Amino acid sequence: MRPAVVAVLVALTLLLTACGVVAEPDAAAWDERAARALSDAGSQVATARLALESADEERTWSAYATVLVAQAEEAAGKAAEDLSRVQVPTARADDAADVLDLLDQAVDLVGEARAHSVDGEYDDQALLDALDRLADELRRAAP
Amino acid sequence: MASLAEREGYDVGLHLLDRQVVGADDRLVGKVDDVELVLDDDGALVPTALLVGLPALLPRFGRRLGGGLARAHRLVREAAADQELPLVVDFDLVEDVSSEVRLSEPAPGLLHRMAHERAADPRRCRVGDLLGLPVRCAALPRRSKVLDLRMTGAPGRPGEHRVVAFLVGPGRPGALFGYDRSSEPGPAAVAAVIHWLHRHARVVELGDGVVIDHEAGEVRIVAGTSLSPLRG
Amino acid sequence: MKRYLAVLLGVLTAIGGFVDIGDLVTNAQVGARFGTSLVWVVLVGVVGICVFAEMSGRIAAVSHRATFDLVRERLGPRMGFLNLVGSMLVTLLTFIAEIGGVALALQLVTSVHHLLVVPFVAVAVGIVLWRARFSSIENVLGLMGLALIAFAVALWQLGPDWGELAAGLSPAEKPGAESWATYAFFGVALFGAAMTPYEVFFFSSGGVEERWTEKDIGVMRANVFIGFPLGGVLSVAIAACAATVFLPTGIAVETLGQVGLPVAVGLGKIGLAVVVLGFFAATFGAACETGLSTGYSLAQYFGFPWGKYVRPREAAGFHIILLAATVVAAGVLLTGVDPIMVTEISVLFSAIALPLTYFPILVVANDPDYLGEHVNGPVANALGVVYLVVITVAALAAIPLMIVTSMGQG
Repeated sequence: MRPAVVAVLVALTLLLTACGVVAEPDAAAWDERAARALSDAGSQVATARLALESADEERTWSAYATVLVAQAEEAAGKAAEDLSRVQVPTARADDAADVLDLLDQAVDLVGEARAHSVDGEYDDQALLDALDRLADELRRAAP
Repeated sequence: MASLAEREGYDVGLHLLDRQVVGADDRLVGKVDDVELVLDDDGALVPTALLVGLPALLPRFGRRLGGGLARAHRLVREAAADQELPLVVDFDLVEDVSSEVRLSEPAPGLLHRMAHERAADPRRCRVGDLLGLPVRCAALPRRSKVLDLRMTGAPGRPGEHRVVAFLVGPGRPGALFGYDRSSEPGPAAVAAVIHWLHRHARVVELGDGVVIDHEAGEVRIVAGTSLSPLRG
Repeated sequence: MKRYLAVLLGVLTAIGGFVDIGDLVTNAQVGARFGTSLVWVVLVGVVGICVFAEMSGRIAAVSHRATFDLVRERLGPRMGFLNLVGSMLVTLLTFIAEIGGVALALQLVTSVHHLLVVPFVAVAVGIVLWRARFSSIENVLGLMGLALIAFAVALWQLGPDWGELAAGLSPAEKPGAESWATYAFFGVALFGAAMTPYEVFFFSSGGVEERWTEKDIGVMRANVFIGFPLGGVLSVAIAACAATVFLPTGIAVETLGQVGLPVAVGLGKIGLAVVVLGFFAATFGAACETGLSTGYSLAQYFGFPWGKYVRPREAAGFHIILLAATVVAAGVLLTGVDPIMVTEISVLFSAIALPLTYFPILVVANDPDYLGEHVNGPVANALGVVYLVVITVAALAAIPLMIVTSMGQG
């Protein structure tokens, strides 16, 4: 029994240290998280774009489009928030500012799309173009 | 469907235990959670009743787990003091054993709680207690256990029912999955694997050479007792 | 004539009943990320569910034993109990996911947040399980579930490059950005979604309830061998729709609304409405099936009276279990957990639970004591053994893959 208990305790300790919240992640791990957040946000922006376009062409009803865009806003916000909580490694200080800025833009723009969707204004070409541009930018930023 | 009535004998663990018990009115009564055996005056083990209910089932989970679960069950059902004894269906009521155990009487009012004297009777034992008992025998691997009980007679038929032989060998009771009988082809690959796993298993006829020692919790097979292979 | 109608109805409900929240979400996710390069897994899964559903249906018809009877009879009380606990957890998880799916489908119509809808859905499921007749549950919801055929129509309307879709079928066409570990992870999830154990619990218990006899084996086989593959075609259509619309734009599927979006693009409002009706019916039907399956497996393990044909008063334990499962499911959903995430976990754990359920079925399907002359032929046995190996590999790989890919995100 004794060795098994010790083994379990050792495993638990290792697990806890591995999950340490304040540990500074290495640059590679941060890159991976940033890439995931960027592609998540890109996916949400593209979803909002597609939802607005479909609603504009009367291919969905308003509740459907609103739910879609609202859920996209929530998910984009979560992606940005999750990354902003991660301690930035010193080697990535400059990149991090850019990435977080891009993510914030995505959250704002999808939020705007949600507001438009709730008001039933699906035909704002400027917004659609902005969504397109941002989706491209996010895709390029995420390797 | 091949009913047991058409066969010479049957294995208690394989053919009887854990089967659904159905009353004559098609109502589900319960599972065969255990089978009660009684030691006859002439030394034969004879089945007397099917036992139904958690008090019969839980001890079969093994010493540690089963004991714990049984204690938990008693705690929960403390209000009914006799809940620690299983329900009994007399073996005479069994009409047929196929994929279910059919009784000759309708379900309501059929089950009765086992009496305390009966539970304490030293001549009675349960199949669940015998299965898994360690077997001491020079000709078998050391980890050998009682894997199943072979019975003569067919339920619902006149004549004698008694345990005639033990299946013994290393492994766990029930892990033969019925591949010990020649009648069952199975997918050849599965059958081959299970036969290989149980290559040391043997059948031993009950008689003077086999001593069931309840006190020590083991079965001793005297040297020189003949052991036959499973599919003989 | 009546017999043909019965066969037709059975086939149609089998198609509609095959797809549930797990299939909807997993297929759309996989299509959006991997195109059609994982379609072969759906094919493998559909053949597998056909093989084992046919065996369990045959056992139910000839010997009137449902799947969990067999589990206990062959695995014994201990292993059987372990299996019971595992299967109950997976089925309950699926039940939670299905109820969440119904709420999500209603949210798409009303825009009322799904958490507010969950209690009403749970009450509706509870009432249906308590009062409705078995055949009406199966037929009405199964037929409504056929609305998901709109995915196939939408695919045709979307007019994808068929050559490209066909060329993408090879596993070698996995998008370069995805690792093989993620590919394998989604393969296992897709396999689990296609072969969920509750389908076999429900199918065989339904057969026992409807008192199938040897004469019904033909009808049962028609349902299985026509209905399930056509259900698989629906799954592939969902994946192909997602591949056509989402793969080029880099959209990852995370909500039920996204699953239906390709149909909106392809068919417009009416098509979308049909598909959302299909979502509702498929998830509601599967919620009833999984709810009943929790009751079936417990009752069959312990041997107390069960079934929709037995009056609630006589099968009190069975009905109390159904009620308790519904309350638990609603409670879990009301904690605010994302139903889509529950779905992802449930299909994965389905894959883990598969061997324990399918091994006893294969063994009993060879036992002449149960089946007499209807024991497995060489084809069923060969497929059964091959699938036993496949299922075991998938079950063993599931947890390591889940950790390595952090639930498919990596």
